Amino acid sequence: MLSDISLRLRSLLRHKRVEAELDDELRFHFDRQVEKLVRSGLTRDEAVRRARLFFGGMDQVKEECRDARGVLLMESLFQDIRYGFRMLRKKPAFTLVAVLTIALGVGANTAIFSIVNAVLLRHLPYHDPDRLVRISFNSPGVGLRDVPFSVPELEDLRTRSGVFEDVSTVGGGSVNLTGANQPERLEFIVSHPNYFSMLGATPQIGRLFGPEDTALGYAPVTVISDGLWRRSYGADPGVLGRVLRLDNDAYTIVGVLPPGFRHPGRDGSRDAELWTTAGFSADPAPKPLRSARIMPEAIGRLKPGLTLEQAQARLTAMAIEIRHDFPGDYSPRANWTIAIKPLQEYLVGDVRPMLLVLLGAVILIAFVVSLNIANLLLARASGRQQEMAVRLAMGAGRGRIIRQMLTESLLLSLIGGLAGIATAVGTLGFILHFVPSNIPRLSEVSVDWVVLTFALLISLLTGLLFGLAPALHSTRSNLSLQIREGARSSGYGAKTGRLRDALIVSELAFAVVLMVGAGLLLRTLRELLQENPGFNPTHVVTARVWLPVPNDPKVDPYLSIAHKTAFNRDLLRRMQALAGVELAGITSALPAKPATVQTNYDSNALTIEDRPMQSSENLRAEIIRISPDYFKVMQAPLLRGRFFTEGDEDGKQRVAIIDESTAHRYWTDRDPLGRRLRYGQDPTQPWMTVVGVIKDIKHDGLDVDGVPHIYVSIYQSGENELSVVLRTSLPAAVLEPQIRREIQSINPSLPVFNVSSMNDVIDASLASRRFLADLVGGFAGVALLLASIGIYGLLAYMTGQRFREIGLRMALGASRADILRPILAKGVVLAGIGIIAGVILSASAASMMASLLYGVRPHDPAVFLVVPLLLFAVAMLASYLPARRATKVDPLLALRQA
Amino acid sequence: MPAKQRIELPQGTLDLLILQALVLEPQHGWAISERVQQISSDVLRIQQGSLYPALHRLERRGWIKARWGISENNRRAKYYELTKSGRRQLEVEKDAWVKLTAAMAQVLGTA
Repeated sequence: MLSDISLRLRSLLRHKRVEAELDDELRFHFDRQVEKLVRSGLTRDEAVRRARLFFGGMDQVKEECRDARGVLLMESLFQDIRYGFRMLRKKPAFTLVAVLTIALGVGANTAIFSIVNAVLLRHLPYHDPDRLVRISFNSPGVGLRDVPFSVPELEDLRTRSGVFEDVSTVGGGSVNLTGANQPERLEFIVSHPNYFSMLGATPQIGRLFGPEDTALGYAPVTVISDGLWRRSYGADPGVLGRVLRLDNDAYTIVGVLPPGFRHPGRDGSRDAELWTTAGFSADPAPKPLRSARIMPEAIGRLKPGLTLEQAQARLTAMAIEIRHDFPGDYSPRANWTIAIKPLQEYLVGDVRPMLLVLLGAVILIAFVVSLNIANLLLARASGRQQEMAVRLAMGAGRGRIIRQMLTESLLLSLIGGLAGIATAVGTLGFILHFVPSNIPRLSEVSVDWVVLTFALLISLLTGLLFGLAPALHSTRSNLSLQIREGARSSGYGAKTGRLRDALIVSELAFAVVLMVGAGLLLRTLRELLQENPGFNPTHVVTARVWLPVPNDPKVDPYLSIAHKTAFNRDLLRRMQALAGVELAGITSALPAKPATVQTNYDSNALTIEDRPMQSSENLRAEIIRISPDYFKVMQAPLLRGRFFTEGDEDGKQRVAIIDESTAHRYWTDRDPLGRRLRYGQDPTQPWMTVVGVIKDIKHDGLDVDGVPHIYVSIYQSGENELSVVLRTSLPAAVLEPQIRREIQSINPSLPVFNVSSMNDVIDASLASRRFLADLVGGFAGVALLLASIGIYGLLAYMTGQRFREIGLRMALGASRADILRPILAKGVVLAGIGIIAGVILSASAASMMASLLYGVRPHDPAVFLVVPLLLFAVAMLASYLPARRATKVDPLLALRQA
Repeated sequence: MPAKQRIELPQGTLDLLILQALVLEPQHGWAISERVQQISSDVLRIQQGSLYPALHRLERRGWIKARWGISENNRRAKYYELTKSGRRQLEVEKDAWVKLTAAMAQVLGTA
């Protein structure tokens, strides 16, 4: 094998030398033969004659030797490539168009696939990531998922289950960082000390957490990200041992993580830059209660050799045992269970449908591009039929000709593909700018060999697809006919015609699929934009503030409700006084923004007076704390009762305002005004009286409906996560420095962040939908354009070929309509078949997109009506243009040219 | 010169003859054809037209390798020698040939 390759290469690379050697070798033999014959008594001339006779044709022997060495295949390949380049250079316009469209198709594929590869396909960047699972506790009996868990339950996972090598709880949220450069608002993670060893992380400098950090509460040490280290400490290795303050608590920096490390979490926790650790229990503290469920989630590493199913079966069984062992802690109706899911699936499961739709769309574009070029090539191939016929007649094998045509196409696709890949690689950073940041793992997007292989494969496949049709077609022609008839009749024959028709029809069908997809997504976006958010977002500027929650009460300036209320009133007074601000309010949660990680789960459970206890288990609502003027700032309509007043403060009667969803769900048949409810099932909690009902506000995103909310006065129920809302006609950028100055003049260590208009907040919540709709819409536009170019090109070519015939018919008195009709009819038939095929294809594929739609059914009649009509209209236009040109043919000219 | 009846080379025996001719020492093409002719007492004669393609083919398979040397009459000539795998191949082909001829002889003898 090796000698084979080296010999072939030698023959190829050192072509001249090898040929000379072959010459020498044969010459030597010949001379010896002559010598021998001379010695046997022949004259020299006679000897030469005999030797020659004996030898046979020298050239033939040489050719056979070359064959034997296996030169032929490679050499002819090089020949084909050289020839291919010549052909491409000869038609620069065609080559440019083809290369550009391929570059577009392959470039788009490269970019999208590099995202799909990083997000969905590549393994998580942790040690042995296949064994990492996310553990969640659910109570399906009362419709609750991801219920928090307690220390004893965590211990059950660790020791009793026997399926985990390691388990770490993961909590965290936002925190105010002071003591570094300037007050900053960061995401932090609090985990068990074994968190890093479970993930297999190693420090860049210093150390990570270990058993020595097991503490009663939070250990006073922290590990920081590479980004924070560079940003705030200038990558100073002396950072170890420095103290920073998180919500006023002091932590010593003990280690810095390497650049690539990210917390395997969703939403904001992905951006965590600080890690702290806590033991959650230790002597001499009393053992935590089983019912003290404070830990939000956990990650575990399965023992080696265990399948997910085996582990899940064991955990399900264990949940039943635990419910049996501690009947007091688990209500029988809740049906409490433990579920595990591969960590990767948990992290990226949400964006999978969106990315797959994108990938599908971009592959369809590659198809359309390919079909379009096939069409161009086929037109050209018809023009080259004579060339091929001559070559066949000269004895070229059919296989050889197919190979040559394919080489040309592949050459084209490779040039275009490389251009596309290069463009995609060069602009990837720029492209990622437009990708919504809520897609996880974007920082890992890069062009690796998987992406390159995929991109090259796509280029080769497009090349093969568009090259095969003309290649096969070129050898199928009738030899003698072609040569005799020459160039003139090498036109739109029946066979080529059918092939080209088929290409156009499939191109149109793919365009329909893309357009239907885009139509559905754009309609979804429009539905969402038209969705009434329940308030008026225009002329509202928002800013966020976080009051620190230190572990040490002595350093907490906002410990009591009185402190918080004083801060809130001061804040509102200062905001109200800003020039250009009409009205100011405060809320604990902005609309159109999903809740952050740090949610107090227990507060979501409710008890409603005069309702039996048993059924109150599934009474839940999101609690939002607001200042009295909040609804007025937001212009949210009050349906009944009253808004909060300055008098609704601590020590007075507790009040609540509910929204329509809450009213419908919990007081279906009664008037909710004056009814009472309270948090959780703790009888010591005070009752709150419902004083008002407002229209639903889309608090959890425009695409989330019917979640019940309860609003309470921020003067009665303190909150650390605050958003200021200001009704003003000034833009956010103008107000930002004033807002920051005012807030930091109350307390200079408070970071002010996310200052933006309410419209931008809503827009940001739609970012990924907009991205998907825009991109698929763009692809659909490209497909529409290519398909219409395809139809136009085909019909223009056809009429061009029939130039003479048309002239003749016009000379014989054919009317304009007679000329127009057959050409238009051709366009109508092609477009009709393509569109029908496309509609059938879309209808069967649309349901795959169901999870990405809102307010639109996958078989939305409007989309399925508008898309075919639009495409048909465009196809008509594309056919009319060449048809009209046909009627302008001057019969005299046409006949004279003939 | 019908000194003796010449026999057409049966299909596939050319490779075997070339390999056998190279068993003792490296040879150039002309010497190989001469030697075969001599040893077979002029019964077998290799067509030059098929000798060289066969040599190149065997080289490509890695059974022989070529190198340039000086011939007995002081000219540059291309010498071929057996490689290790060439020797193995020779044994295999020889064995097969012996079996074939023995079987043929047996069949023809008993007929």
